[in-house]
Amino acid sequence: MSYTISLTVNGDRRDVTFEDARVTLLDLLRERLALPGTKKGCDRGQCGACTVLVDGRRINSCLTLAVTLDGADVTTIEGLARGDVLHPVQASFVEHDGFQCGYCTPGQIMSAVGLIAEGDVGTDPERIREGMSGNLCRCAAYHGITEAVLDAARRMTDDKTRKSA
Amino acid sequence: MSYLTPTTLDAALGALSGRDTEAPVSVIAGGTDWFPAQGERAYNGTLLDVTRVEGMRGVSAVGTGWRIGGATTWSDILHADLPPAFDGLKLAAREVGSVQIQNAGTVAGNICNASPAADGVPPLLSLDAEVELTSTRGVRRLVLAEFITGVRKTARAADEIVTALYIPALSAGARGGFTKIGGRKYLVISVAMVGAVLTLSGGRIATARITVGSASPVALRMGDLENALVGADLAEALERVTPERLAALSPISDIRGSAEFRGEAVVEAIRRTLTQIMKGQAHG
Repeated sequence: MSYTISLTVNGDRRDVTFEDARVTLLDLLRERLALPGTKKGCDRGQCGACTVLVDGRRINSCLTLAVTLDGADVTTIEGLARGDVLHPVQASFVEHDGFQCGYCTPGQIMSAVGLIAEGDVGTDPERIREGMSGNLCRCAAYHGITEAVLDAARRMTDDKTRKSA
Repeated sequence: MSYLTPTTLDAALGALSGRDTEAPVSVIAGGTDWFPAQGERAYNGTLLDVTRVEGMRGVSAVGTGWRIGGATTWSDILHADLPPAFDGLKLAAREVGSVQIQNAGTVAGNICNASPAADGVPPLLSLDAEVELTSTRGVRRLVLAEFITGVRKTARAADEIVTALYIPALSAGARGGFTKIGGRKYLVISVAMVGAVLTLSGGRIATARITVGSASPVALRMGDLENALVGADLAEALERVTPERLAALSPISDIRGSAEFRGEAVVEAIRRTLTQIMKGQAHG
């Protein structure tokens, strides 16, 4: 039996047909849609390296079957920058050295974008650490990651305030 | 593997009706426990995804109580407008894995998975939660303590779907709390945890519902302790939390802690939960 779904990935509509319903969103992105920015770490929902946004919410793409996403809107790390202009969270990670080897970074950044959009944590560093706890970094760049998310959260809040003023 | 994603309850129940163990159907919502449990094996059964079934998602006031739909996620709980008796459930919602897990994983899935360390179970037992099971044969309701029958065992029949949880009417002023003790602060499987709902009168405990998780095959209400706490102020309540009143527990030694440490951790977790509630510090 084959399954056909239609979803939006980084703004582009994609129609995908599977012969096997067991394909995860992570494998779909990396192996079928040529979007290898999303990383496979543990492949069992423990490390967060595969974090993407589905309908604006962060999820582990390794724990999500692609076939469940008919009609969904997916954003990956490849969908954040506008041309050569980095997303504020990406720019902030560069500025604050929010990484060492970089493997967990796409997941960290997607998780941070989701966290800031949730609007629950403001600029409280402890709540940011809690909100980012689903993203492990084996290089332990946590200090820089927290600083990067804090700074990005401040900048994005300021931007919003300026625009609404 | 075949995948079904019905949009009506009738279609979902029809897919399960008459199935036997030879053609297994796994009912999933977020799938956050189910997927990792498959390990390296290729699943060849049928996957029934209930997240698109109409009316399965969300929290609503029903009569004098509350209904938590079977596809309601932990993030939905955290963001729902609920009275302070649910503060323990909200605190637990914040500790179920990571936010990525909370956005997919459901309350009903947590009880169906029936892990002794399920974060949702102690607060739900303290809320006197009931489980609604629906099949083509009809609807039945069990109290949560009867639904979870053992380690990863439930009373759900193969053709039933957990369509909702119900929380009966709560006394005005009831307040909930939750404490999880683990090897680190976040993203951890608990060594011991406590969910409690108290009503207070003049700074003293009028009624107490205390549930301990991760220290017995199924989380347990501590009836002796609940009775002993009535009439106590905070200082007295803390003194009354003694190992003798927790004798129903049977903590095990495992990779996360020894039985002895678990026993001590339970006492501490109960004291922290009582303090959290009686000082008004519990918030989701």
